[in-house]
Amino acid sequence: MKLKLADKILTANERIAEGNRKFFDERGIFVINLISSPGAGKTTLLETTIKALGSEVKLGVIEGDIMGTDDAERIDRLGVPVVQINTGGACHLDAGMISDVLGELPLDTTRLLFIENVGNLVCPAEFKLGEDVKVAILSLTEGHDKPLKYPIIFQESKALLISKVDLKPFLDVDVEKIKRDARSLNPSIEIFEISSKTGEGIGQWVQWIKTLIS
Amino acid sequence: MHELSIAESLLEVALENCSNQGFNRVGSIKVLIGKASGVMPDALLFGFNAVKEGTTADQAILEIEEVPVSGHCNICGKDFTTEDVYVLNCPHCAGVSFTIKTGRELMITEMEVF
Repeated sequence: MKLKLADKILTANERIAEGNRKFFDERGIFVINLISSPGAGKTTLLETTIKALGSEVKLGVIEGDIMGTDDAERIDRLGVPVVQINTGGACHLDAGMISDVLGELPLDTTRLLFIENVGNLVCPAEFKLGEDVKVAILSLTEGHDKPLKYPIIFQESKALLISKVDLKPFLDVDVEKIKRDARSLNPSIEIFEISSKTGEGIGQWVQWIKTLIS
Repeated sequence: MHELSIAESLLEVALENCSNQGFNRVGSIKVLIGKASGVMPDALLFGFNAVKEGTTADQAILEIEEVPVSGHCNICGKDFTTEDVYVLNCPHCAGVSFTIKTGRELMITEMEVF
């Protein structure tokens, strides 16, 4: 007997992500999933962003790493509610891991939640967490060929932060190529050139966030 | 792309449909996998054959049909199909504004049950 179907293969992760999405929507929480290679500057960007936003916006952070609590400790020192997930080996956060820690943050009063994913430019792009937007960070030291080498994350992200631009004078990197290639993959991607060290571009980035959550 | 977890979900959907319709065994499953879905057919097949053991689909054959990437160009107005996985410009006019219509599918279209 032949059964005709048109069923999407919705993975267990997508189902849980939808559950997370519902949870966030019910509380009016805007969620940003921060993705980059290891060392591109996610945590430093978060520290800079937290300082720039001040007490204007009620923030929360979920940190994801294979091991260790360094990142969560850095956020904690700034007085922002944070919880550290250790995957113990998985190369990306998944929706189930997020769902497991939702009770550990004061989310009833949170307006903006950052999820700092495990440092990885491949897998996190493919696992929904229930976020509103993905934001990718690519540091200048990684080179200008990365958008075309890792297309999925650039297609999936609402914004791209090109970080460590203070190092431009010391590198042979074609920033315009990064922007051109990112836009060819995703014509509507917002691009910010930033330096957490000098503060360059941070104002525009923060203003964009405020527009997103207003 | 972590095909094992996709294979598990695929199996779950198949078994659910099979028993909901009142049948006992799955003979074959046809799936559409878009070429830009990120799923590697070989890996999916491998994963499926591993996870089907010990279930009522343990003899089931997975038939994979790959769907090419196609789209519509917003600049020249033409439709296009391509062998490429990632489309950077319209093959007709090289324009950069286009809508992808097929190529990202991940779905079950038919099952043989008894």
